[in-house]
Amino acid sequence: MKLSEHARNVVETCMKHNKVSDSEREEIEQVIANMPEDRVFLQKNVVSDPLGDLPRYSIHIRVQHLLTFSTFLTLAFTGLPIHFIEAIWAEPFNAVLGGVEVTRIIHRTLAVIMISSMVYHLLTITIKPLWEIRHRRFDIRRTIIPLPKDIRDFREDMLYHANKREQRPEMDKYMYKQKIHYFAAGFGNMVMVISGSSFLFPEFWASVLPVEMVSNFQELMRLSHPHEALLALLVIAFWHWYNVHLAPGRFPMQWTFLTGKITREHQIEEHFLEYLRNLVEIPEERQHLQDVLDSRGLSGDDRFDIEVAQPEGAI
Amino acid sequence: MMLKKETCRSRFILAASLVSGLFLTFFSVQVVAFEDDEGCLICHKYPMMARVTDEGVLRSYYVMPHVFERTVHRNVPCRDCHSYIKELPHKPVTQGVTCNKECHSIKNPATGKQFSHKMIYDAYIESTHGRKKIADGLDADKPYCINCHTNPLYNPGEGKPPKHIVDRCVVCHEKREFVERWYNHTSRRIREVKRSSKEIFELCSSCHENKEMLDRHVRQAQEEGRELGRKFPIAAKSYKESFHGKLTRLGFSKTASCLDCHARQKDYFKSVHEIRPSRDPESPTHESNKVETCQRCHTYADENYVALDPHPSSKQEDNVFKYYAEMIYNIVGVVVIAMLIGMSLVETIGRRRDGVSWRLFQGSSWRRKSPRGRDRLK
Repeated sequence: MKLSEHARNVVETCMKHNKVSDSEREEIEQVIANMPEDRVFLQKNVVSDPLGDLPRYSIHIRVQHLLTFSTFLTLAFTGLPIHFIEAIWAEPFNAVLGGVEVTRIIHRTLAVIMISSMVYHLLTITIKPLWEIRHRRFDIRRTIIPLPKDIRDFREDMLYHANKREQRPEMDKYMYKQKIHYFAAGFGNMVMVISGSSFLFPEFWASVLPVEMVSNFQELMRLSHPHEALLALLVIAFWHWYNVHLAPGRFPMQWTFLTGKITREHQIEEHFLEYLRNLVEIPEERQHLQDVLDSRGLSGDDRFDIEVAQPEGAI
Repeated sequence: MMLKKETCRSRFILAASLVSGLFLTFFSVQVVAFEDDEGCLICHKYPMMARVTDEGVLRSYYVMPHVFERTVHRNVPCRDCHSYIKELPHKPVTQGVTCNKECHSIKNPATGKQFSHKMIYDAYIESTHGRKKIADGLDADKPYCINCHTNPLYNPGEGKPPKHIVDRCVVCHEKREFVERWYNHTSRRIREVKRSSKEIFELCSSCHENKEMLDRHVRQAQEEGRELGRKFPIAAKSYKESFHGKLTRLGFSKTASCLDCHARQKDYFKSVHEIRPSRDPESPTHESNKVETCQRCHTYADENYVALDPHPSSKQEDNVFKYYAEMIYNIVGVVVIAMLIGMSLVETIGRRRDGVSWRLFQGSSWRRKSPRGRDRLK
């Protein structure tokens, strides 16, 4: 496979960060050269364990996800019956929990746990990059921070799904969808925490804000809390669960949130640049890929060049 | 055969009547009529004692002795309030009962003077709600004493004081009935007898949510160029939208109701009778008193805090900011969800075209034959 300029840069940066030896570099270059040009064909021919093959999330991220989703769902299921107290379904919800007074206490307790999880997450995503910067291993493309390339990736990906491109874009460890989702969730969490705290500590917020803003801020927070909660719940239900549970090929679920690993074919399909880094950083993966290519007679194979594989009617 | 059936039915009715009679004898509430020394019940004991007014309203003059017996005014003879009655049968009544009269029969045990509600009446008449008993025009919309004070019944559940207390009291006070009543009177006041926040709001809403009444007052004030409170037309409705209103609806008793802000907490029971508009410097909701009023519950409330709107509204004419904020939230919500569903549909179509399908056990690596033509090698 002949790498694109961007992919070449990613590989070179990774090799520099990992201080690879000349022999390793030769080995890496050889494996990359042996890969077929068509990434779709490559991803379909690798061997994958549904539980995951390659490292993706640390134990910290998995614990944070567990804490966040469990508190988020329980917060939604305790918060909605409080907001919609007069709805016909709210009464049994509250009654099961011991009445609305108890529901409120549970809701606030869960909020404290969720905020703790947020603090834990902020520490994690701060400490690791600081360590990487200190050791000159930091690559912003490997983080969740949105970059202009994400907009191009989004466009190209939509065109691929619309059958107007032959390849999905070469996306990094976090693709555009995950970045949108992450920042939407982060923004939503902040809104929920600030608005929730404005209900609990109205005096504090009134004292720190300019007097002209106080009333509108409080009203905005009262609007935001239920609206953001409902929006988040719908986004989770319609999009996140689609992406990790319901999308063809992801059903019944991706195990990454538990095992911390991603399947090889998924990595190649949606995070190809990260897969290249895996080839640099994990010698076993290089060996595994080479074995797969050899066993399936794909090494240096140009039969499946993308131009050859172009389907009829494609633009 | 027919006769036998009739006999059975008669026996059944007889038995049922006997059982019912016995039941009523043993379990019915004992009716004790109040002392009717003035003979008012000669006529007013009849349920049909009523007339239809010129306006076509049926007015009942029926007094239920067994009910009146249980009210807080049971010891007050009729003519202490209906003092215009001079003879029997009396002439048509042209003036109603006012609550500032002195009771000739009841003495204030603290002062030894005739008992009267005059003090509280005078406070009320000076308030924004003050009106004469017979009022017309906009004043007729205002509440008179009996709109709020409904001459409540004593709760039968609290009727009987503990025997050992009564036994002790009757040693000097002799009359067991007197002791029981006195006990009821005082013990009820020792207990919390204030209306709950929910009840207070319902009471105030009976007028402040009456659209016709509100419109009448707003229109009249505009015609006269008179100032009205900015929140006057939406007071009750906006309270329901407020945080306090929501908590009140949830049944929380420690939430501010109308009277917690609009009446002074010092001397509360008098103050609720002298509510004033917020432009009146004596009102707890006047600009100069707001901090102190809010601090009753919100200890750390400051000058900024009182800028919070206790009567918020989402209507464009009342709060433009909130109106557009809500509209934007709704639009954003719908657009975001529609876009995400659209993206998911596009991706599903694309992935299906790639030969990817839904399978329960093969994990994410299972693929079917792809319409794109790049399939896994066998």
